[in-house]
Amino acid sequence: MLLPAILRECCSKHGLQVATSARSCIRTHSWRELHSIPGASLLRREGRSGPLHSFTDAFLLRRAPPPRLHLQSRGAKTRKSHKQAQEEDWRRRNKTVLTYIAAAGVGMIGISYAAVPLYRLYCQATGLGGTAVAGHDTEQVANMTPVKERVIKVTFNADVHASMQWNFRPQQTEIYVVPGETALAFYRAFNPTDKPVIGISTYNVVPFDAGQYFNKIQCFCFEEQRLNPKEEVDMPVFFYIDPEFDLDPRMARVDTITLSYTFFEAKEGQTLPVPGYS
Amino acid sequence: MSTAMNFSSKTFRPRAPDKGAFPLDHFGECKAFKDTFMHCLRVNSFDNSKCRLQSKDYLECRMDNQLMAREPLEKLGFKDIMDEPSSEKPESKSSGQ
Repeated sequence: MLLPAILRECCSKHGLQVATSARSCIRTHSWRELHSIPGASLLRREGRSGPLHSFTDAFLLRRAPPPRLHLQSRGAKTRKSHKQAQEEDWRRRNKTVLTYIAAAGVGMIGISYAAVPLYRLYCQATGLGGTAVAGHDTEQVANMTPVKERVIKVTFNADVHASMQWNFRPQQTEIYVVPGETALAFYRAFNPTDKPVIGISTYNVVPFDAGQYFNKIQCFCFEEQRLNPKEEVDMPVFFYIDPEFDLDPRMARVDTITLSYTFFEAKEGQTLPVPGYS
Repeated sequence: MSTAMNFSSKTFRPRAPDKGAFPLDHFGECKAFKDTFMHCLRVNSFDNSKCRLQSKDYLECRMDNQLMAREPLEKLGFKDIMDEPSSEKPESKSSGQ
């Protein structure tokens, strides 16, 4: 940055006509000199008296602004200095562009980090991907009114893992419910072996979209259930379908919902992941 | 859980039940109520609306025998058939509540 200023000084002070090379200008002054008081040594050559204590003094004592470089554009040497000034300008612009690009890169990284919680919020708000729609609260059970016009058939399915020896089946194949009304259904499990078996179950609702409206108040899933040898128990499921099911346009053609339970054997140290978005 | 072969298409996310899991009825204390309920369902071609009274009875049996946390019946959605002097019973049954 110092170079063009010094060049300008050199060339202006040494006169327009004198084709002094820029290099000789610089060479006559040591860098240390130039670095400390940029204008001082040059002015001293002109015969000014008195020490100059600061660059400000040198600046103030300068008489006229240096002539524009383009007036000297005829000379080959001045063209070179003009080119160097231009290069300086390019370098400065390159630096600006690089700064902008670096800032954009850092911004992209920041956005990708912020996207994770933002996407989670978006999914919860829109219920995309089957995530539980936020705002599902238990108080609504007391206040909901059944939508009597919309009858939905809920079919039941029971499955057992291959290595699990329980006999597990639903006690009714289907039930007709309306949204907003609580319903009870039963499964039966029998342990035909001679050893107590601990089972744990999970469930599935088809169609997936309807799963977000299917709310279980109480059931027998996600907790270990122990059956003694040759024991048979009834397992109830108490559920309801959210009344908003009737208002969802995507559910307009859904008439059947299938609830499917699967039992696994619970082994030591193995836990079925409890559902929840975390 | 859902088999994870479907990338970017909707998957099912099971949710934990609101009030947890029912303890198992090992001694069959509420079996009679369950049988009444199942009988009602079969008679009414599995229409849940007609058998709500029996389901309420079953849940009350569970609560009485420590097989279920005691809850006020409104919270279980039985607000409409809660008050039951016997005069209201046939009324609620016939209106299909």
